[in-house]
Amino acid sequence: MNFSKIITIYKKELLDLMRDRRTIITAIVLPIILYPLIMIGLSAMMSRQKMKLEQQTMVIYVNDNVIDETSQMIINSFNEIETIQIMNKAEIYEEETYLSLLGENSIQAVIDVKDSLSAAGYSVFNISVFYNQTNEKSILTYDKITNKLYDIEDELVGERLEKININEEILNAVEIKKENIAPPEQMIGFIVGKFLPYLLIILTISAASVVASDLVAGEKERGTLETILVSAARRNELVIGKYLTIITISIMTVVLNLFSMYLSFQHIFRQAQGYIGDLQLPLGNFALILVLMLPLITLFAAILLSISTYSRNIKESQSYQMPLLFGAIMLSMVSLLPGFELNLGFALIPIVNFSLMMRDIMLGNYQIQYIFIIVGYTILLDIIMISVSIKLFNNESVLFRTSEEKSLKFWGKEKKNVFSTQFIIIFFIVILLALFYIGGSWQAKNLPNGLLKTELLLILLPSILVLRISKSDIKKTLRMNISAPVNFLLVALMAIPVFILAIISMQIVNIIFPIPESYIESMSKIIYMGNISFLQVIFIIAVIPGICEEIMFRGYIINAFTKHGFWKAIIITAILFGAFHLDPFRMLPATLLGFWMGYLLLKTNSILLPMFAHFLNNSSALVLGRFGEEIPVIRNIISGQDFPFWIGIPAIIILTLLLKVFIRINKNNPENFQRS
Amino acid sequence: MIVAENLTKVFIQKNNEKLYAVNDLSFTAERGEIVVLLGVNGAGKTTAMRMLSTVLKPTSGTATIEGFDLLKHPQKVRANLGFLSGDTGLYIRLTARETITYFAKLYDVEDSKIKERIDEVADLLDMHDFLDKKIDFLSTGMKQKVSIARSIIHDPPVMIFDEPTVGLDILTAKNIVSFIHKCKHDGKCVLFSTHIMREAERIADKIVMIHEGKILAEGSWEDFKKETGLHDLDDIFIHFLNRTKEEENELQ
Repeated sequence: MNFSKIITIYKKELLDLMRDRRTIITAIVLPIILYPLIMIGLSAMMSRQKMKLEQQTMVIYVNDNVIDETSQMIINSFNEIETIQIMNKAEIYEEETYLSLLGENSIQAVIDVKDSLSAAGYSVFNISVFYNQTNEKSILTYDKITNKLYDIEDELVGERLEKININEEILNAVEIKKENIAPPEQMIGFIVGKFLPYLLIILTISAASVVASDLVAGEKERGTLETILVSAARRNELVIGKYLTIITISIMTVVLNLFSMYLSFQHIFRQAQGYIGDLQLPLGNFALILVLMLPLITLFAAILLSISTYSRNIKESQSYQMPLLFGAIMLSMVSLLPGFELNLGFALIPIVNFSLMMRDIMLGNYQIQYIFIIVGYTILLDIIMISVSIKLFNNESVLFRTSEEKSLKFWGKEKKNVFSTQFIIIFFIVILLALFYIGGSWQAKNLPNGLLKTELLLILLPSILVLRISKSDIKKTLRMNISAPVNFLLVALMAIPVFILAIISMQIVNIIFPIPESYIESMSKIIYMGNISFLQVIFIIAVIPGICEEIMFRGYIINAFTKHGFWKAIIITAILFGAFHLDPFRMLPATLLGFWMGYLLLKTNSILLPMFAHFLNNSSALVLGRFGEEIPVIRNIISGQDFPFWIGIPAIIILTLLLKVFIRINKNNPENFQRS
Repeated sequence: MIVAENLTKVFIQKNNEKLYAVNDLSFTAERGEIVVLLGVNGAGKTTAMRMLSTVLKPTSGTATIEGFDLLKHPQKVRANLGFLSGDTGLYIRLTARETITYFAKLYDVEDSKIKERIDEVADLLDMHDFLDKKIDFLSTGMKQKVSIARSIIHDPPVMIFDEPTVGLDILTAKNIVSFIHKCKHDGKCVLFSTHIMREAERIADKIVMIHEGKILAEGSWEDFKKETGLHDLDDIFIHFLNRTKEEENELQ
């Protein structure tokens, strides 16, 4: 690799981009004007609005049902409030009319004064203040009136006490004083820390995405890519030159963001000096964030460059970026939400980890070990993504991708091929959506009935329909073949260690992301399922899914991937099977099970084995859940306390031995797997 | 010079069928010679030229450019090659000079010589008037000149033109053709592709007719006339096409 050539490419790209209006706007103009606009503009606007609001006249209507000296005094006291004007009672109006006037925002409050006697015989004024919580002016009126009413209450109580010769001070038994120990700097960090990560991540990624789209997809679109590919530069030099460009623009955006934010704050502080004293923003924290952002920027750059390389033009690149941008927005918002604390699990979720880490740094109470974990982990991801982008750039079928043809074929010629990857993916997504929306509502109405309907109508039926309509040989596609009895025996034996390994995988997930109580409760609801017998539960949860889900996954879906080979077919189907459960805690164990069941299928060419395996797994989970509570060891396993991870070792050994036997028995199976 | 030996490129299509874009293509192009790859759209001309310029990797076979093997020394191959195609674009936000300088650096022209070299090329193509203008503001003819300048800035011994006149008006196309003649006179080896028979007729020293990735016939315009007794290149092309089809049918 030639370093000076990389520099040449890098310099040219920067020059080119700096003349592009989109780059200038997203990377430079936006950060510079955004913060002054947000902070100075918004706060000025808000205080002006509020002032305006306070000077406006507020009309109230008072309905006095008591009409004595005191009630008159109370009503007169409202008149003392400067901006409040009491509406005169008009003969033509019924009492309710005033409330509807309030609803139309023509008046701001309606006050109803009644009186009653307390249990001890004292008279009490019952004053209802009707107001509209969705109207700023009405809220303000409510505040003013209630404040006045508290004053009046104090006055009246004082008079009563005086009558019986008791000092008013007797009421002050407890005096509360609010003392905030957070220094002003920390208070600012607390506020800034909430939205800084969010803004910083979003602005950086949007600047980087504009640049990245232009760098490769843009070159494809303008027909310049080929000119640099035929030049004497190496592909790696081109990638790295472009890569450094994205990183530079991103760093520039981050620096400008931080700088602009810092200055805006300083400006506000100077203005507010009279109230809060001489405040300084923690400059060191800003610097630390800038340095820590580097690996995240690198990650964004690598992902965006890969997307750009894969895309045929800028538009396509932008549409592929959309999910990434949306994901980034959602994930970076955690800093705005209360109750999210950095832990090992969050440290391993990209963007979430940075969002929380930056918030903690602004607060000034970060844990150094998390910084190391997050930075190290992100650098690892960087290395993976950079090698992916270099690999893509060296792949001629990606660089000269002609998927226009492909997509046309999908809707035209290949329409009938229900085993094409595109069709399967769309089928899978549609089923998933149906499960979520339709199945979910069925199950909410009646759990056992809903589960049954979901399995039969949303999982089994569509798969069979697709195969019928495409006129596929159903028996052959589904691999409806008998298998040797010894295989069933082996599956029954293997089910035990596999079940243990699935539980272990769930416990590992549990360590990183603790399973919430509510989740365990909803699981136990399934086990007991109201008033039906345990055998019926087994039927609904183990027998039916064993048949329906296996027909969908091992019967239909796996056939779309067998052209990629034995292992790829098993792995992809297993991952889809895991995702199918729509449940973060069962995803990993379900994927493991799917892997095993796919293996059983392709090794024996009989769907009966994975069906049997599925049934065994689900029913053992049910039996353990129902009766395991009484056995201490199993209770611990279920609750996840003192989980004996060591049982994984014998499980693996036993499973390996059983698999060896299984492989030997099925070695000479004439129906063995062939690439279709 | 270019020596292509059994160049073959297979694309795997969506339905897993193999498409032989270029099938066992062998030919040579000497210095001072203009060789035309002639074929209809989709015949495999661009794929062949992309392999020769190392952008695509051959599925089998290879070629040498100035003695450097495509597979073993792709870097050296590209350094000895000027590549121009009809649909290549330019960086519209850069000036002509910036563009040419960029490519000079990518092609390892020494920094001290870049200025001198740009002057030479600008003289040759008469582009001094717009050297410092942004490409966005240039006319099609001017842009074409920038593209040419970009491809010859390192004075390569071998030039590859992939349908360079497609979509150009007569005057601009004429500029290109005269530039190609100039390359020949300077002793460069020129490979030129087109689907326009007249164009091939006018400039070729040697024509390589290809169809569906395979060579139909190879020789000079005069050779073809003698061999077939026909006078129109269109007729000659169809003659060779039918002959090949008959041969294939006989084989089957």
